[in-house]
Amino acid sequence: MNKLKLNPSSITFLPILVCIPLAYELLINFHIGGIELFKEFIISALIPKINNEIIITLIKRLNETIFIAFSSWLVSIIFGIIFGILSSDISYKFLSLPIFLKRFIKLLLIITRSIHEIIWGLILMQIYGINFSIGIVAICIPYIAINAKVFSEQIENINLKTIQSIKQINGFKFSSLITLFWSPVIKTLKNFGLYRLECAIRSTAVLGLFGIGGIGTSIFLSFQTLNFRELWTYLWGLAFLIIISKAIFKKINLFNTPKKFLFNFVIVLFCISLFSLCFFVYFIFNKNIIPFNSINNLLILNSNFNSYDFLKLFLETILLSLFSSGVAVSFPPFFILIFNNKIGILIIRSISFLFRLIPPPIIILVLLMFNDPSISLAALTLGLHNAAITSKLLLVNLYTQDKNEYIAMQSLGVAKRTSWLFGLFVKQARSYLAYCAYRSDIIIRETAILGVIGSIGLGWQLQESLSSFAWDEVIIILFAYSSIAIIGELINGKIKSNLT
Amino acid sequence: MIDILLELKDVNYKYKNNLILNKINLQINYGEKIALMGKSGAGKTTLISILNGTINPTKGRAKFFGREFDKLNFDQKSKISTIWQDLRLIEDLSCEQNVNCGLLGKESFLFALKNLLNISSFNKAHNYMQICNLEKSIYSKNIRKISGGQKQRVAIARSLIQESDILLADEPFNNLDPKLTSKIKNLLLISKNKNKIRVPHTILISLHRLDLLDGFNRVIGMKNGKILFDLEKNKLKNFHLNKIY
Repeated sequence: MNKLKLNPSSITFLPILVCIPLAYELLINFHIGGIELFKEFIISALIPKINNEIIITLIKRLNETIFIAFSSWLVSIIFGIIFGILSSDISYKFLSLPIFLKRFIKLLLIITRSIHEIIWGLILMQIYGINFSIGIVAICIPYIAINAKVFSEQIENINLKTIQSIKQINGFKFSSLITLFWSPVIKTLKNFGLYRLECAIRSTAVLGLFGIGGIGTSIFLSFQTLNFRELWTYLWGLAFLIIISKAIFKKINLFNTPKKFLFNFVIVLFCISLFSLCFFVYFIFNKNIIPFNSINNLLILNSNFNSYDFLKLFLETILLSLFSSGVAVSFPPFFILIFNNKIGILIIRSISFLFRLIPPPIIILVLLMFNDPSISLAALTLGLHNAAITSKLLLVNLYTQDKNEYIAMQSLGVAKRTSWLFGLFVKQARSYLAYCAYRSDIIIRETAILGVIGSIGLGWQLQESLSSFAWDEVIIILFAYSSIAIIGELINGKIKSNLT
Repeated sequence: MIDILLELKDVNYKYKNNLILNKINLQINYGEKIALMGKSGAGKTTLISILNGTINPTKGRAKFFGREFDKLNFDQKSKISTIWQDLRLIEDLSCEQNVNCGLLGKESFLFALKNLLNISSFNKAHNYMQICNLEKSIYSKNIRKISGGQKQRVAIARSLIQESDILLADEPFNNLDPKLTSKIKNLLLISKNKNKIRVPHTILISLHRLDLLDGFNRVIGMKNGKILFDLEKNKLKNFHLNKIY
């Protein structure tokens, strides 16, 4: 008998098997109690509420969202570049800095990015109370670390021979370093940095659900009062903001901007980085941190955690990550293969846009209208939200690549789906899987959001412990979260390096 | 003035257990125009990399201006410029930005920043680009968007703008047509300093083509990592060349 051989294309479809346990649990927990509400929710999407009061609130909330998202994006990009440079090997070869500094920075970045911005937000809110600064700081902490990782990876890709040639010119170290880093940094800023703004807007919206302010807060308040028409006004407003921000940044070409503008841009960046550094220092030392006065308790672990329950929550979180990743990886190619025609693709694009737009906590709350809370429901929510993101990338790559093989297969009379599979998808499967490996890192971190809302995994326990100011428990949960995320990142890193 | 600019004594270089250079003894003196000849794989590029301090010998000593490379100061290090066989230009920068990179050893950090932001003065770069026969229309073009021959000339302009004392060039006439080859060769070997252009007085060029030997005053022949002959150009005979090819 022939052995089953796995290749990137088959591996992409394999995780669809997670649908079996998911479907089983979802069917068991299905009820029709909220069907009417769900119908109302769907219909409201087409007739959002529009009146003076709503529009004024929408504009106000959008302004808040822009402020938080743009500030946190800008600060996280600037410091992401700085830490990216400081955590790349090349800097140490050039500047003869002590190697322990690199290790320390890398460890710090791994830990900070392993914890989701929502968790940072919840912790900071408990310590400092609710205000805008919390939103900015909460987003900045993991974003700086994520951006630093991406910038550092790109810097590490600089050709060794180019480094040698610049070294041979024997210029001043900083001059040589900036000359070498310029192109990869600008390129990453263009390709990845602008995408991070979209992420910052989404994160601001999700943090808003927890009371930080901005459009998320209005979305959550409308949902709580079951005012779906109002809810959709805010959601469409959010969509408008994301589309507009993308369109504006697409127009900015950093390589072809007028010289004077570019010079001013660098000065502005410098001022902002200086200002944000001052802001961080001010934020840490000049706020009332009364709820945190039991800092000594952090060192004395006297929690009443039942280790069995804790282990259960820990495993639930891992299971949630695995199921969600399965959905995120396999759904896009599976559905594109099934509905492989113009209308089908249009529908997939529209649905994935909606799943990207609606924050996962709202998706799970909607799904809870006809299903009881369970790991499967949380996994489906997180999986669908991330599948919407992976499908966007897959569709762009599929239809912008060279289609010669596809055309050749079609001309030979091969069925449309088969030609799509072997003529288009096969060429993208490897890079798609590599991107999904990176996405899985994010999914592991995002389990926290669903945990808090959907009573699943460590996120739920974190919420409980934070509410009761049980800081020792919070530390244990953070440690557990961090461990899962770091191990996940290591595994995904291995997968990624095998694929690329 | 120090007459011996570069000196190698019993230099070996091993890479993955292969002996690439074997007991190399060499002195490069002020004002010499040296042609380094040998088949592909003879060790010419490795020798140039040792001469410019990019790699260290596995055995033996390399001295630059009478000192070891690590002990040279910035000023001394920037007296050696190189044209690499694979050019090693910075992609995504324009031609003039790449040429200006040659000034990194002489100018401040602000100059480097201005160069990247495209707001520095390119006058000096333009002078050198012009002398290398580069058309004005490509000055601000991205390095990816120009031809192989144009890239070659940008690399030459970048090393000349360093205004070094010694130029090490690894097959600098690759990608150039015969007319340009002759022009660039004349520029490197014959031109006196003029029009604000300074050409290094000491030059070592690795070559394949025998017809380009005019203008050199010393020829070194290499084979299998060894120097087989090192003599004045006018003493070079056919049998010498037969040894290495």
